[in-house]
Amino acid sequence: MASRYLWRRVGQAVTTILMIVLVNFLLFRAMPGSPDRILARNPNVSPAAIEQTRARWGIDKPLVPDQLVAYLAATIQGDLGLSFASRGEPVTEVIAGRLGPTLLLFGLGEVIAIFVGLGLGAYAGWRRGGPVDLVGNGVSLVLYSMPYFLLGMILLLIFASTLHWFPSFGMTTPGKTYDSVFEYLADLGAHLVLPVATVALGLIGQYSILMRSSILETLGDDYITTARAKGIRSGRILRSHAVPNALLPAVSLIAINLGYVVAGAITVEVVFNWPGLGTLTVEALAARDYPVLQGVFLVLSISVVLANLLADMIYGRLDPRVRA
Amino acid sequence: MRRSLRARMVRALAVAGLITALVLPAASPASGQVADDLILRVGTDQEFSGLNPWQSIYVLDYEVFTLNYDLLVGYDENLGFTEGFATSWETSDDGKTTTFKIRPDMQWSDGQPATAEDARYTYQLVLDAIAAEVTLGSGYIDGYLSSANLSAVSAPDPETLVVETSTPTSLLLPAYVPILPKHVWESHTLEQIANAEADDFFPNDPPVVGTGPYTAVEFQAGQFMRFARNPNYWGEQGAAEEVIIQHFESNETMVQALRNGEIDYARGIGADAFDALEGQEDIVTVEGFANGYSYLTFNGYSKPIEGGGASTTALADPAFRDAMGWAVDLPLLVDRVLAGHGTPGTSLIPPFHSNWYVPPAADVQRSFNLQTADEKLVAAGYVKDASGQRLDKEGEPIALRMTWPASESELATVAQFITEWWGELGIPVEAGVTEDDTLLVDLAPPEYDPPGKADFDVYMWGWVGDVDPTSLLQPFTTDEIGGSSDTFYSNPRFDELFTLQGQTTDEAERKAMLQEMQEIFYRDLPNIPLYYDSELHAYRTDRFGGWQSQPPDTGTPLFGFGPIGYTKLTVAGSTPSEAPSAGAASPGVTAAPSAAPGGSETPTADNTTLILGVGALILVLLAGGLVLMRRRGAETEEE
Repeated sequence: MASRYLWRRVGQAVTTILMIVLVNFLLFRAMPGSPDRILARNPNVSPAAIEQTRARWGIDKPLVPDQLVAYLAATIQGDLGLSFASRGEPVTEVIAGRLGPTLLLFGLGEVIAIFVGLGLGAYAGWRRGGPVDLVGNGVSLVLYSMPYFLLGMILLLIFASTLHWFPSFGMTTPGKTYDSVFEYLADLGAHLVLPVATVALGLIGQYSILMRSSILETLGDDYITTARAKGIRSGRILRSHAVPNALLPAVSLIAINLGYVVAGAITVEVVFNWPGLGTLTVEALAARDYPVLQGVFLVLSISVVLANLLADMIYGRLDPRVRA
Repeated sequence: MRRSLRARMVRALAVAGLITALVLPAASPASGQVADDLILRVGTDQEFSGLNPWQSIYVLDYEVFTLNYDLLVGYDENLGFTEGFATSWETSDDGKTTTFKIRPDMQWSDGQPATAEDARYTYQLVLDAIAAEVTLGSGYIDGYLSSANLSAVSAPDPETLVVETSTPTSLLLPAYVPILPKHVWESHTLEQIANAEADDFFPNDPPVVGTGPYTAVEFQAGQFMRFARNPNYWGEQGAAEEVIIQHFESNETMVQALRNGEIDYARGIGADAFDALEGQEDIVTVEGFANGYSYLTFNGYSKPIEGGGASTTALADPAFRDAMGWAVDLPLLVDRVLAGHGTPGTSLIPPFHSNWYVPPAADVQRSFNLQTADEKLVAAGYVKDASGQRLDKEGEPIALRMTWPASESELATVAQFITEWWGELGIPVEAGVTEDDTLLVDLAPPEYDPPGKADFDVYMWGWVGDVDPTSLLQPFTTDEIGGSSDTFYSNPRFDELFTLQGQTTDEAERKAMLQEMQEIFYRDLPNIPLYYDSELHAYRTDRFGGWQSQPPDTGTPLFGFGPIGYTKLTVAGSTPSEAPSAGAASPGVTAAPSAAPGGSETPTADNTTLILGVGALILVLLAGGLVLMRRRGAETEEE
């Protein structure tokens, strides 16, 4: 029953991922430059040594079929190659080491934003024109329109370098020794506050604006009028009738947003020097670390596809009509 | 279909557990306990290349290995030679044999004896690489010894090292080569040491064994490197128990971390942020001379290249380049592009090399004068046509393509100015940025391997030197066309002087040669040195004192040559007179009046309550949400 809908979606997702793998390969080969070029500016390096480097990385072989076949075979086996910059460390390990911090930062930010943003939006829409709506909507618009790096920089200037309340960079204090797990968690927590606040504030603006308009739409619907006619309390109408229906567009937005967690990570992580996938992407770009970049892009695109799949599935659960 | 609240909680906890598990491994507790105040924290925007010194590329990499290891001959605060791994040295009359005395009873950080045999092993590694025709890693470190024509090395006894070169040389003593512990490195093959991509490459992971003042004990790639004091260090010990070098992806964040007291030192600050830091409490800014320069190169390739090369033969004509040199307002560029933090360019040897730098004589020095430029162009045979367009000697209109690498964003501003000035001479300039690697491909001449087409007219970039000026001179020699030469400049006298200056051991004689080379360079102008951009650093005075620039009036306290800046540090307040007098002695240093220290501590400890509060808030929000969802479920059933 539900499975046909589900399988179709899964099939689409797999096809999309395959396309991404292919595009990923071509895109990175089309980009200018190669890692041996960093050696080329050094007068002491012999041409033979540069040739050796090219051979080692396989970039001396023709693009199609040699490089493509090797790439596809390896990717399917989960082998994303070795990082150029990290001295031969496997790409999967490099990425895995940075995934945790990114998930922590954006997971927390998302959770806070979902509750605060949706709650604020629902209430503002319900009490349209009220003080919460006026203030909330204004603030949400400002937050929504502000780029992450600007928001992060403002928080950094105020709460780190002026008030000295929170540390300005990193996930923990480097070199610090901890007497207990709690001391570590406190240090981690202190480092989390500003970046998480940046992520959450940015998303809150987005979510609350969407939720507000979504609630406003449902308010005119017949079932709300019916509920009112039945004499149900206003708060309960909001919670039991308006919010569940208004949640539908919000769910797809949130699910799609989850996919962009990593992409959005770049600016926030760079501002706070957060050791996640975002800073890894910037580092890999600077070092022309093709394998790592390719790996990050793969993870990125797959997470967007999976998040969309998730959205479809949740949608199916929330709205039985979609499943038909 | 309902799930109990408990089931939801269990799922939430499982997710939280997973995230914690992903994050916690980073919390591996360090060995010995070090008071936070005794950790020196240094910020940089450069990337680490690792701990195998042969892989060094950036200034940061050099800083890392000079903390870990000693050079055979060290540098003192005035950049003079001082004892390093060796305590004294003597060169034979023919200038080809140098005998080094190695410090007796010296130990590696792991307690093993450090002897002449270790130095012999290290230099022999370079000889092996030369014999095998491979470069060791990035090729910068071994290059010092191959340029010195190293031919043999021996260690007749533990305190004597004999180094032979095939020619007399001035390049042996300044060779910037770290002496490595044989007992750690000898089990690895040349390939495993030299080649970062080899199977079983030796990355020299921490803990590093060295004879330097601090040795690396932890390295988080892309983040930081932590060094502990070497208990067996032979020299003066700095006050810091540990040193952490922290990488910053964003320059602005690094400056905020300095202001917030989370780092004690910042290297490579932007000009605007640097000016804003001046006068901040407990912060001292240092403007040091750069050992390098930004330049504008003319494509001087002398023959036509099919499908490439310069768009006009004028660029290969020194008279044309001389005229163009009059049409660039260097002081204005320094003012507008660097906010004044730099010096207008003249020589290929930056003024940082106070021993070797020779400014142009007053009668040949160019200044900004479009009138003079025009007259010189006409005199050299480059006249304008009726429409005001400048023509080359073939009668073709001159229109130049100008580019620069994407990584050097400030050069875009330079390009705007030059486009306007040269446009007034009837020479239109089409300016546009090129991605770094593409630019390197475009620059390659037919002599390069793989052969290129030198497909450019003028381009801008930068070049950085060593303590010895050789690497600054080398790119302008004929032999380097197809190598590091991007000007394709060729001058037999310049080539001859380059060889001679590397072989003389008489400093006055060498200086005379370098002066002539600089005069030839300034006259022929293969490239226009635009400016020497200052090194903008800053440090805090509330935890450490004793900051001393190297050299005192033109250098910076850290990221100089050798670890001396680290070993001179004192605990702040222990020598109260130190900081102000250091500031007064150095014109490049502006000392901020430091009020009561301790007002701005790293906030981690006292924020525990706040963090717990935020944590509690998140939990309450989560719980609230869950309750709401549960109630909703209950109500749905009611109705």
